[in-house]
Amino acid sequence: MDNENKDRILPAETSVTEEAKNYSSFRYAVGAILAFFGFSSKTHRASKKRAKLVADIFTYIVLLAGAFVMVYPFWWMIAGSFAYTIDGTGGSGLLEKMIWWPETSTLTIPTSGGGTKAELFFNYRTLFTSAFAASGLKVTYWRSLFNNLLYSTVPVVVGVITSASAAFAFSKINWIGRNVVFFMLLAAIMVPGPSLMITQYVMYSDMGWTENALVLIIPGMFGSIMTAFFIRQFLFGLPTSIIEAAKIDGAGYLRIFCQFILPLAMPAIMAQGLLSFMGCWNNYMGSFIYLSQNSKWINLPHAMYILNASPSSNLGVVIASSVMCVLPVIILFGCFQKLIIGSLMLTGSKE
Amino acid sequence: MEEIIAVGTDEAAMSAAEAVAESEGTVQTAPKKRKHHINQQKLWDNIWGWLFCLPLIIGTCWFIYSTLIMAFLLSFTTFRTGGQVSMWECLAHMGDYIAKDLTGATNAFYWYKALFTEKVSGMDRVTLIGMGIELNEMGAYLLNTVFYMIGIPIGMILSVFFAVCMSRDIKGGNVFRVLYYLPCVASAIAIVYTFKIMFGSTGVINQLFGLGNFHWISEGVEGAYTWQNLTGAPISTNAFMMDPYWCQGFFMKLVIVIMSVWKGLGGTIILYVAGLSGVNAATKEAAQIDGANGWIIFWKVTMPDLYPTIFYNIVTSVIGGMQIYAEPEMFMNSAYSGGNVMVSGYVALIYKYGINMKYASRGAAYGMFLAVIIFVLTLFQFWLDSRKKD
Repeated sequence: MDNENKDRILPAETSVTEEAKNYSSFRYAVGAILAFFGFSSKTHRASKKRAKLVADIFTYIVLLAGAFVMVYPFWWMIAGSFAYTIDGTGGSGLLEKMIWWPETSTLTIPTSGGGTKAELFFNYRTLFTSAFAASGLKVTYWRSLFNNLLYSTVPVVVGVITSASAAFAFSKINWIGRNVVFFMLLAAIMVPGPSLMITQYVMYSDMGWTENALVLIIPGMFGSIMTAFFIRQFLFGLPTSIIEAAKIDGAGYLRIFCQFILPLAMPAIMAQGLLSFMGCWNNYMGSFIYLSQNSKWINLPHAMYILNASPSSNLGVVIASSVMCVLPVIILFGCFQKLIIGSLMLTGSKE
Repeated sequence: MEEIIAVGTDEAAMSAAEAVAESEGTVQTAPKKRKHHINQQKLWDNIWGWLFCLPLIIGTCWFIYSTLIMAFLLSFTTFRTGGQVSMWECLAHMGDYIAKDLTGATNAFYWYKALFTEKVSGMDRVTLIGMGIELNEMGAYLLNTVFYMIGIPIGMILSVFFAVCMSRDIKGGNVFRVLYYLPCVASAIAIVYTFKIMFGSTGVINQLFGLGNFHWISEGVEGAYTWQNLTGAPISTNAFMMDPYWCQGFFMKLVIVIMSVWKGLGGTIILYVAGLSGVNAATKEAAQIDGANGWIIFWKVTMPDLYPTIFYNIVTSVIGGMQIYAEPEMFMNSAYSGGNVMVSGYVALIYKYGINMKYASRGAAYGMFLAVIIFVLTLFQFWLDSRKKD
């Protein structure tokens, strides 16, 4: 309380001193205004509290503006999915004009009698029923959704466990060749994926994996090097004495891994698993390169590409499918944001 | 002879003693037993270490190293997918399938040479020659890739700025972090379609900024797009600013840059917030007492501490930026037609020759060249970094 009073009195005191008389009244006024906004000048010294308040307000304005830019396209996407875009020409004009809310919403679908009817989820209904077949796809929406779920759960769950086991071996077990293998894996990260695209494609099609879903399931099951490295960093933070104690009690490494390491490293494993789930869910390249357009195994982003590229595409339906593709990941991220952001922060501070 | 007997008897005696001791459970033999136990422990360490690592090692060797070696070897051959020869056969008898010149002379580096000599082909070539331009294909695609990299410094400055704002002592900083990270988790294809419509000629951006009927994105269908000037009329002039390659492609690439900056901002912000939390508070306070203002503190205290994060971020962004492929293809709907000279990145060439035109050997050669470019760029950055430290 005392400090605050001092801060407040200070500018008044300094402005009354004799030096202040040397300044013109204009400069004096400017100084007063600057001090009000938290900037010290020769005539006035602003209080620290005021300076912090002004800076805070400025920060909030900047961050809110940024947050608006970040979130607005999502709002646009959701609002656009309720736009009625069939105007006979098949153009995107009706949807394009939208800023906050579509001009022609699905609440006013023209009927053959000349009136209007309301069907809020018209675009979604079209997407779930007829849109995929109309654009020449051999799969239904539900099938591609199932494929997407398959590709983003099975390889991710198995892959994260194999990555964690490798991380365990790297951080807690001494074995001959550990450093050599570690260096080999580190070097493998630097090989760019597109360079291997062609030979991988030829190899997988020779093995017959591109005719079914195996190509998008099996390679992921062998684990990811980056995930292993991250979990390894996390495991270094765990005390080795736990493992020593378990060893003395007669537990084998397999038991230690299942009963100690997996539960203890769960935050890191969960975070990495969720991140790879999101990556696999949004993975367009894999399905696009390896699977043919007529395959029954194509995933949702790939199906969305074909849906949009087909001449008969209705943009309202395309935007509805975008919402259906984005929504699950956003909800998942919302539920686990603390875990995911925490793990990302850990990666950031490690670098 | 005596010695041997002695040793023999010694051993026999010892083993007998051991047997007795073991049966009696005395502590006398404990040291010997423990030694034996340790060796076994080491053996188990090795076995389990390798076993735990085995899936990852197999995966890496199978899917990365073996394909890398095969791609390297294939790039010197004439192998085509869908032909009569399988890849394994081609690799087993590589001598028979070495790439040949148009004249028929053996030239193992034919595809690498083609990479530098091939001009833009097809419909684009007709249009470009009509305008008096002839472009090297690799140059045009590589130029697009490099153009997208202007997003890296922009994104870096923006994310440092926002990270500094967020790491201030304000309420709700975490909420902002989550909101800014939303675009990172969203599917790229959904974002592309949203941005494509938002940047349309009558779209939100043109309305909000009063840009009239500005054509950011050329409109067209898969495989065949229309060349238009910025007001949407078909082009009929060779004037420089009406030239769609330099002008219209430019704005479309700009939209992709804006989109990738928007999409990648959240991830880098989190990295920088983490980096900023590691900045030494004591140094900051000392500088404050010495009379340094916020600006000087930022440049002299915060930035040096943040430098490792920034460097890591730039290296990974350049590596990722060289591999840009999906976003431009989705913007132009040109994925199945094998790229578009106006917007596609270098990777589109690999897809075009390797998978679309079934020249796997040629695609492999182009891929090898990409690996070399990325490797050299990374080395160059580390060299710059080492020079800075000296």
